[in-house]
Amino acid sequence: MNRYLERHRNIADFALSSLMRRKGKNISLLLVYTLVVFIIASVLFFIHALKHEAALILKDAPDMVVQRLVAGRQDLIPAGYGDKIASIRGVSEVTPRLWGYYFDAAVGANYTMMTAELQGPEPEKIIIGNGVARVRRLAAGDIMTFRAYDGKTSLLQVQSVLPYESEIAASDLVIMHEADFRLLFNFPAKEATDLAVKVRNPSEISTVAAKIVKQLPDARPILKSEILRTYDSIFDWRGGMIIVILAMALLSFIIFAWDKATGLSAEERKEIGILKSIGWETADVLLLKFWEGTAISLSAFLSGVILAYGHVFFFSASLFEPALKGWAVLYPEFRLTPAVDAYQLAVLFFLTVLPYTFTTIIPSWRAATVDPDAAMRS
Amino acid sequence: MRNSTIFFAFVAVGVILFATLMLHSQRALLQSEKMLVANGNLVGSLRLTDLCLFTEARYTRHPAVADVHSAFQDHPMALDHFPSGSLVTPPRFRNEGP
Amino acid sequence: MIELLNVSKTYNSGKSNQFTALRDVSLTIGPGKVTVLQGPSGSGKTTLLTLIGCMARPTSGRIMLRNMGTASFPGFEAGEGVEITSLPERFLTGIRRSAFGFIFQHFNLVRGITVLENVMLPAYPTGEPHDAVRKRALQLLEMFDISRHAPARVDLLSGGEIQRVAIARALINNPSVIIADEPTAHLDTKLSREFMAIVGSFKKEGKAILIASHDPLVYDADLADSVVLMRDGQIISSGSAQ
Repeated sequence: MNRYLERHRNIADFALSSLMRRKGKNISLLLVYTLVVFIIASVLFFIHALKHEAALILKDAPDMVVQRLVAGRQDLIPAGYGDKIASIRGVSEVTPRLWGYYFDAAVGANYTMMTAELQGPEPEKIIIGNGVARVRRLAAGDIMTFRAYDGKTSLLQVQSVLPYESEIAASDLVIMHEADFRLLFNFPAKEATDLAVKVRNPSEISTVAAKIVKQLPDARPILKSEILRTYDSIFDWRGGMIIVILAMALLSFIIFAWDKATGLSAEERKEIGILKSIGWETADVLLLKFWEGTAISLSAFLSGVILAYGHVFFFSASLFEPALKGWAVLYPEFRLTPAVDAYQLAVLFFLTVLPYTFTTIIPSWRAATVDPDAAMRS
Repeated sequence: MRNSTIFFAFVAVGVILFATLMLHSQRALLQSEKMLVANGNLVGSLRLTDLCLFTEARYTRHPAVADVHSAFQDHPMALDHFPSGSLVTPPRFRNEGP
Repeated sequence: MIELLNVSKTYNSGKSNQFTALRDVSLTIGPGKVTVLQGPSGSGKTTLLTLIGCMARPTSGRIMLRNMGTASFPGFEAGEGVEITSLPERFLTGIRRSAFGFIFQHFNLVRGITVLENVMLPAYPTGEPHDAVRKRALQLLEMFDISRHAPARVDLLSGGEIQRVAIARALINNPSVIIADEPTAHLDTKLSREFMAIVGSFKKEGKAILIASHDPLVYDADLADSVVLMRDGQIISSGSAQ
C-alpha cells in the first residue's frame, strides 16, 4: 500500500516539476481557469439561492390578485368588482390593494408606494424600506417630502424603517396611511389598484378564477401558482444574459481542452521517450499526464468554487451588481441564505475536472506506448 | 519540501474549506428559518406579490403581475430594460383579459 | 550472467523497409567483466545493447539472465535462469529497472528540472520511499564530485558534468549491469580517461559492464576484458583483449 501511494506521490512530484518548467504559462492558465469556474459557480449559487428564497418567501403571497384591463393596459378596479367577487362561492376574503410608483427626482430612484391595513403607519407617517432609507439617508423621525399630483407638497414623517433582512422583499417600499395615499395621488375614492383575493380551498383557485372572468370579462386574475412560477423562471437560461455567460464558459472549457487535445510537441514526445528508456512503463507515463491535468483542473475547481461561495454569500454577489443594477438607482443588498444545489456542483465538478484531465492523457497515449529502445536509436 | 506535499496540502485545505462551507450552508439554512418566516409574514401582511429585485420600471419591479404589453409602453427608446429585460421575461397567464 | 543464443532482430518485417539489424548472434556476458562491442555504425551494436537491456524483444533466439537478482521477482527461483524473451511487458520493465543501468550516447537527461531530480527519476515508479532514494542520489553525486550541482538545472552544466549526472542516474537503482552506448563520443581525452576510471570502479564492485564504442581509448583499454567485433549485424570475432 505504501509503495502504491509513494509511486503516486513521486510521479505527482515530477508532474508538478514539469508544470513549473513553464511557470508563466501554467500559472496564467490556472488563473483564467479559476476565473471561469468562479464566474459560473457564482452564477449557479446566486440563481439557486434566489429562487430558493423566492419560493419560501412568496408562499405567503395572496392566493389571487385581480386586475382590471382597459384597452390592454392595467386600469384602476372599482370597489363594486370586489363586492361581486366576494359573493362567489369559495371566496373567503377580498381586500383592495392600493399601490403605485413614485419617481423621486432628487436621487432618480423609483419607489413602490402602498398602503397596509394591518400594521400600517399612523396618519401622516410612513414606514420605509431599508433601501429607501439608504438611498435618501433617512432614519426614523426624519421628514420625507413628496410632490402630490395636485402640485402641493406632502410632508410625511418616517415612523420606522423596515429591517435589513427584509431588503429582498421590501427594499423600495414606502408604506403610508390610506388617506395620505389617496391625497398624494389624487386617487379616486372607491377604486383600488387591484384586489387581493383569499380562497377558502386552495384547490378551488382555478375554478374561482374562471368564474371571475366569466362574470367580469375585463378582469384579469393572477394566481399564486403563476406568481411563484414567474420567480421560478427568472434568470432562466433562455434569457439573454445567462446564455451569454454559459456560452462563454463553455467556450473557455473547449479552448482549454483543445489546447491539450491537439497533440504533443516534439519536445514532449522526446521526453516521454527518455522516461520510457530509463524504466518508466506506459502506465507510469499516463499517470504523469493524469497528474499534470488534474493538478490544474482540481486547483481551479476548488479555488473557483470556494471564492464563488464567499462572493455570493458573504459579499452579496457584489460583482454582479453592475450587471444586475442596470438603470436602477435603488438596488437591494442581497443577503441570501446559502442554499446550495449539490447536483449542480457535481455537474460543475465533472465538467471542470474530467474533460481537461482526459484531454491531457489521451494525446499522450500514442507517445506513451512507444518502445523504450526508440530513445536509444534517436 | 516536496512538490507533491505542497500540492496535496493545498488540495486538503481546499477540500476542508469546501466541506466547511457546505456545513456552513446547512447551518445557515437552519438559522435563517426565523428570518424567512419574518419575511413571509411581511409578504403576507402587506399582501406583496414580488421580490424587490429590479426597480427600474414597472414590469421589471413587479414581473409577476405585469402584463405582456408593458415592455413597450414605458419609453419610446427603452425597447427593453437592459439588463433586467434579458433576465426577466413576462410571464404567461391562462386568464388573459381583453 | 547474460546469455544470448542465436538471437536475430528484424525491424519492419513484412514491409518494404524491412531491415535485419542482427543475424544469429550468440554471446555470453559475465559479472565483473567489461565487454566492448566494436564496429562501424550500422553493425548492430546499438540493437544488441537494446536487446540485452530488455528494451526490446528479439525476433528469434533466446536471451537468458542468471543470478541477477531476478529471484526478487515473483515466480522465479534463485539460481535459475530467466528467459526474458517470453516474459510479459510488465516483468520485463521491472527487470530492466532494477538490473540494468543505461548511459545513452546523447545522455538523454530531462531538461528544465534539477540534477538531483534527474538522478532520482528512474526510481520514481518503483514506489521506493522518497527519502531513501534522495539520500542515495546525493551519495552518488558526491561520489562523482558533482554534489554542488544538485539543485542546478541540467541545461547549465558542462559536457563532462552532464556525463557524470548521466552515470549517476544509471546507478540509482543499484543495477548489476551497466550498459553504455558510445559514452566517449562527446568527450575529450581527459574526460574519456576519467570515464574509463569510473568503469574500473564498477568492475571492482562486481558489476558487468557492456560498452558499445568505436573509440580506441575504450576498446584498447586494459580494463576491457573482451572485445566483440561486429559487422553487418553479425559477430565477426569475439575474444579477450590483448
